[in-house]
Order: sequence, then structure tokens, then C-alpha cells
Amino acid sequence: MKILNYLACPECDLLLQRVLPAVNEKAHCPRCHYLLHRPRIQSITRTFALSLTGLFLLLPANLLPIVGIKILGNSHDGTLLSGSVTLFNEEMWAVAMVVFLASILFPMLSIILSLLISGHLYFHRPNRYLSAWLRTLQHIDEWAMLEVYLLGIIVACVKLAAMAELKFGLGLTAFVLLLWVALMLASNFDRVLFWQRIEQLNAHEEK
Amino acid sequence: MKKNNTALAQGLMRCHECGKLAQIHSPAPLICTRCGSHLHARLPHSFQRTLALLLSGFALYIPANLFPIMTVTKLGVGEPHTILGGIVALIHSDMLPIAMLVLVASILVPLLKLLGLSLLLLCVHFRWQVNAKLWTRLYRIIAFVGRWSMLDIFMISILVSLVNLGGVAQVIAGSAATAFAAVVVLTMFAAKSFDPRLIWDVQND
Repeated sequence: MKILNYLACPECDLLLQRVLPAVNEKAHCPRCHYLLHRPRIQSITRTFALSLTGLFLLLPANLLPIVGIKILGNSHDGTLLSGSVTLFNEEMWAVAMVVFLASILFPMLSIILSLLISGHLYFHRPNRYLSAWLRTLQHIDEWAMLEVYLLGIIVACVKLAAMAELKFGLGLTAFVLLLWVALMLASNFDRVLFWQRIEQLNAHEEK
Repeated sequence: MKKNNTALAQGLMRCHECGKLAQIHSPAPLICTRCGSHLHARLPHSFQRTLALLLSGFALYIPANLFPIMTVTKLGVGEPHTILGGIVALIHSDMLPIAMLVLVASILVPLLKLLGLSLLLLCVHFRWQVNAKLWTRLYRIIAFVGRWSMLDIFMISILVSLVNLGGVAQVIAGSAATAFAAVVVLTMFAAKSFDPRLIWDVQND
């Protein structure tokens, strides 16, 4: 039995013949219906282009004011960072840390790692850290929660609308664009292809 | 479907990180040749880890709902809110859709996650004969919805930073925020450490 011709379903461990679905086709596990593979057109090129776009959006999304309020003549602007800073100053350091990680550090790391990995694959540059980067990326992906944060902004604004005057800043535009880039990255990412290419590249290097 | 169709029954294991198959009884150390991570046929100590994280989650769910999650001060008059109190306040100010959203994200989802993971653990421990496909789907839903409970935490972080106008109006996060954030993080880790292949392993057919 040739081991490379087989794959196992990660959720029910069924041993399956390896198939290569065409682009826009999906391969599901016949037993538990897990989505095994969904190839994407030009996954590496698109990941490279999208993560480069994301890199330029990181600074404005993090530093420009997202929402500002005005109550009885007092106005105050909020950025992505100011939430965790204020929580930290109120000695809620655990919550501040979770918010900082989920809304700033992990989305940022996710884009930087995507750029590093897809860049190396795009230019056929072997690197012994490639698999460590991809493993890290797979782990932090779940903890980058920009879309949940956007919902948080919406709920907070609805709550504030009754008592204060709101104005939306340029940072919100950058934030929404960054969220769009993150979602596009997730949908264009072909994990099976990335692992295969990393293996080929590193095997080529060793020869 | 016969049981010897699984990779484990054929003496193979799948790398958790990159999906590459390897022989269980290979002479080499059990490190994936493709990505260098440690190989296991099943997630190590999946049951015990999930149970420990789940019990901590249950314990913290109580203070998360009993203590105030934030205090809103307007012109010097402070008013502490619990999670439920915040939802009631939203209903009173005629914002029913948002109230429903917060109710689902911060009360129902964490509770259903805790109960759902408990069911999965009971199923594995007592070798319940179930429709494994359906129960795997339950696991998938639990793993997917977990992140949305962070909604309340993000909303508080935004309110705290925006409504920071000294005596005029101020929002201060309460102790329940830490407990609630811990519940969300712990249940996310619990879902991550649960290995759905265990459900299939205990089925007899």
C-alpha cells in the first residue's frame, strides 16, 4: 500500500483514496461530510496580493480614529488600540490582553505570516521556517476576530446613539477594508496546496 | 461502514498540523516528515483536557452572570449592569433586534457550548451509540460559534474607551467581564482540544 495515495479525514479518521478535485469543486468526507479540500484559482498569487494589501491597511486601521462621540459638548475619539489601553489602565489587564490579541496582534500576525509564506512560495524561495510559520498561522487564525469586533462596534454604536452624537472616522473605512482582506484571504487559502508546495520546496532544497 | 476503514485500524496516523499520513509503528521518532510536529493517532489526553477546561468554564459562567459586567455613570450617578441587565435595558429602550443579538451571543451561545461539549464528553465516556454524523456536526457548530461570544467583550472595550468623559459620562468595566472573557477563551480551548474522532471510535458498528 502506497501511503501517499491515501488521506485520512481529520474528524472521523476514515481512510480515503487521495483525489484531486478541480477548481471550484469540493471534496467531502463520505462518512462525516467534512470538507476535505476545496481548491482555489491561483491560491498562492492571490494570498500574496491580498496579504500585501492587508499590510498597507494595518497602520491606518489600527491608528486612525474609528468612532468618535460627542456628549454635551465633550468629544472623544476611539481607535482600535484605545479600547485595550483604557481597559489596561482600569486594571482589567486580562480582558485588555484578550481584546488586544484578538483585535490587533493576531490579525496583524496572520497577515504578516500569510505574506511571508505566500511570498516564499510565489518566488520559489525555500526557507526552513516555512512549515513553522504555516503551523503558527493555522493556530492563530481562530483567534483573530475582526468580524466579531465589527459587530461589537455596531452594537456599541446602537447603544450610544440614544445618548450621544456619533461620528465615524477614516479608521473605520480602513478597518472594514482590512476585515474584507482577512475574509478574502481565508476564502482563497488552499491549505492542502500550501503544505504540498512547502514540502516540494524544502525537498528540492535538501538535494 | 466497517471499523477497519479508519487510518488508525490500518496502522496509520494523520499529522494534526499538515494532514500527512505516517505509519504508527515506524522506527523513526514520531515527528512529521513534512512539518516537524509531533504525531499522535488522536489528540493527546483529549478527554481529560476538554473535561478540565469545561469544568473551569462552568465554574466561571456563574460569576460572569452574577456580577456587573459594566457600570454606566451619567452626571455622577452610577448604574451597574449585569449581562442580563444590559439586555433588559436594550429591550426597554426599544432595541429588540440588538437585544436578541446580545442575548444569543452572550448568554445562549456560551451556555449551549458548555452543555454541548458536556454531551460530547458523556457520549465518549459512556460509549453511547449515536448517529455519529449528527454528533460530529454538533461538534462543528460548537467549534464555529465560539468566537462570536466575544461580541460583549469587544463592545465593552469600545464603550469603555469612548465614554470616558470624566463626570459627564463614563463606562467602567466590571469584574464579570474578566470571568466572561475567561469562559469564552476556556470553551474555545475546550472545543479545540476535543477530538471528534473519539465519537467514531466508540461506535460499535
